Amino acid sequence: MLNQLATEVKASMSIYDAQEDEVYGLLAEFAHPGELLHAAAAVREAGYKHYDTHSPFPIHGMDKAMGLGNSIIGWITLVGGITGLSLATLMQWWMGAQSYPIGISGKPFFSIEPSIPIMFELTVLLAALLTVGGMFALNGLPRPYNPLFFSKNFLRVTDDAFFLHIAASDRRFDMSSTEAFLKGLGASHVETIHDREEEDGV
Amino acid sequence: MSETVKRSNPLIWLIDPLKSTASNADPAYRFTWSQAAWMLPLAIGIAGLVISAVGWATDSHQFYFSYLIGWTFCLSLTLGAYFFVVIQHLTKARWSVVIRRIPEALIWSFPLLAVLGLPIIFGMHDLYHWTHLELFDPASPEYDPILAGKEGYLNMPFFMARMAFYFIVWTFVSFRLYTLSIRQDVTPEAGITAKQRKISAIGLVLGGITTAFAAMDILMSLDPHWFSTIFGIYFFAGSFMAIMAVMVLVSMLLQRNGMLNGVIKVDHYQDLGKFLFGFTVFWAYIAFSQYMLIWYGNLPEETIFYRHRMEHGWETFSAVLLICHFIIPFVVLLGRWSKRLLPLLGFMCVWMLVMHWFDFFWIAAPVLHNEHAAMSMYDISAWLGLFGVFSAAFMYRMSRHALVPQHDPRLAKSLSFTNS
Repeated sequence: MLNQLATEVKASMSIYDAQEDEVYGLLAEFAHPGELLHAAAAVREAGYKHYDTHSPFPIHGMDKAMGLGNSIIGWITLVGGITGLSLATLMQWWMGAQSYPIGISGKPFFSIEPSIPIMFELTVLLAALLTVGGMFALNGLPRPYNPLFFSKNFLRVTDDAFFLHIAASDRRFDMSSTEAFLKGLGASHVETIHDREEEDGV
Repeated sequence: MSETVKRSNPLIWLIDPLKSTASNADPAYRFTWSQAAWMLPLAIGIAGLVISAVGWATDSHQFYFSYLIGWTFCLSLTLGAYFFVVIQHLTKARWSVVIRRIPEALIWSFPLLAVLGLPIIFGMHDLYHWTHLELFDPASPEYDPILAGKEGYLNMPFFMARMAFYFIVWTFVSFRLYTLSIRQDVTPEAGITAKQRKISAIGLVLGGITTAFAAMDILMSLDPHWFSTIFGIYFFAGSFMAIMAVMVLVSMLLQRNGMLNGVIKVDHYQDLGKFLFGFTVFWAYIAFSQYMLIWYGNLPEETIFYRHRMEHGWETFSAVLLICHFIIPFVVLLGRWSKRLLPLLGFMCVWMLVMHWFDFFWIAAPVLHNEHAAMSMYDISAWLGLFGVFSAAFMYRMSRHALVPQHDPRLAKSLSFTNS
């Protein structure tokens, strides 16, 4: 149960577990971004969950084609903001009125007016930090090791190639039928990726 | 002026400087609403002004304040539209082309506002304390050394000259922006877009300076002892927020009446909603910056402004302003969903426009009623009266031309704009 949950959480970050026979998944190459977009939609409609697309540039509409929905990053930002606001208020009150009260030109030890800039800044700071941190976490970054790097072909992903990867951990994954399915979508090249951790990548 | 775009006759010029080009409009961008679109607001406007006229006859002091608040409200919407158009041209914005005709039509309100502003000249003595000449006379018991020191700036001839200068600048820039855009509708010559950008660059600089000074002259000098160097930005922040609300509401009105369907999409609304939210926050940021420095400095001639607004019942109005102009819209408009839920966005736009008026009311009315807080029915009638006439002229202008800058080179990008 817990293992399954961990697998799903990792899969949402595009980190997939390899099968026992070291098969990590199938990597299909497409010639155009449009083909990749259609393939992604077809893969989603076929019921696959553990798959990802790779391209040299962002493709408009890919989030819809993959059915990614709205990111929860906004809620993480909100949590960061509220935490920052509360911490700053507490800090201003504790430092000004509790720990070390100093009278300055008759101003109250703690009042909301001069504290607002601090409250505002800490709200923004924690919201921003949690947004960036949350974005990294949700994307499973940084990720220095990825079994896809074993594919020589995959090096072109930062240049002129468009890839769709279906992970072996997907419930619907079946070596032969998935390969046929990807070929049927117009993939110019389908490659089996093995997760060989002990070996060196390309 | 090209062959196909002609100047309108001098009587209409105040409302629209060009002859109707509606027959050149693409059928998809044609104004198909009945004349009720402008007759209805005109009727409301005239009714409001007639009621206000009763106020002028019975309590002219109150009337002039009410009228000034309503007039400033309309002026601020027009200035917001002015800045919006200018910024869209300068940034070569693509997303906003489908809604740009709305602010473009709004900016030609300046000549009408100049005419509607004439009654204020007769109320200068009621409105502006600094027009009382005995303040500047050392022999008079009314002598006020602080105001006497400001006599070089706060005097009638210079005030009128400044007002004339502002309106000439605004009208000139608006005339160029408005007529160039309509000309592009009819004869899509190359180079019009570049000309629009050029006048926008000049317009942004001139507009920034004139708006800041106009805000100080019209509103800040109501309380002539008080001064705040950030006041121009405060005025701008509210105006720019309000124009977003106006664009959303006008788009919704047009779409409800069967125009521009499929042209203005939820993505455009969401972006307007983002700006509405952003400038609500910006307004609060500026309002607070003004407040905090005055709180900290604690100088009598500065704190008097807030003191007037924190006693004799005005503290309730101040609290309403803070909660309803900032806290509630902040929470409601923060999420993505609320900006894409059009009934809610429309409601918040009406809300923010009311609060925008309330902001001016909060600035001006305590000068009149500094002994006890009061809101007069003439505040409402003058506001609705002026806003009705203003909206009627705007709607009439909209009905005479295409609803979208139909030959703008960036229109296709705006039509296919998505932000999901």
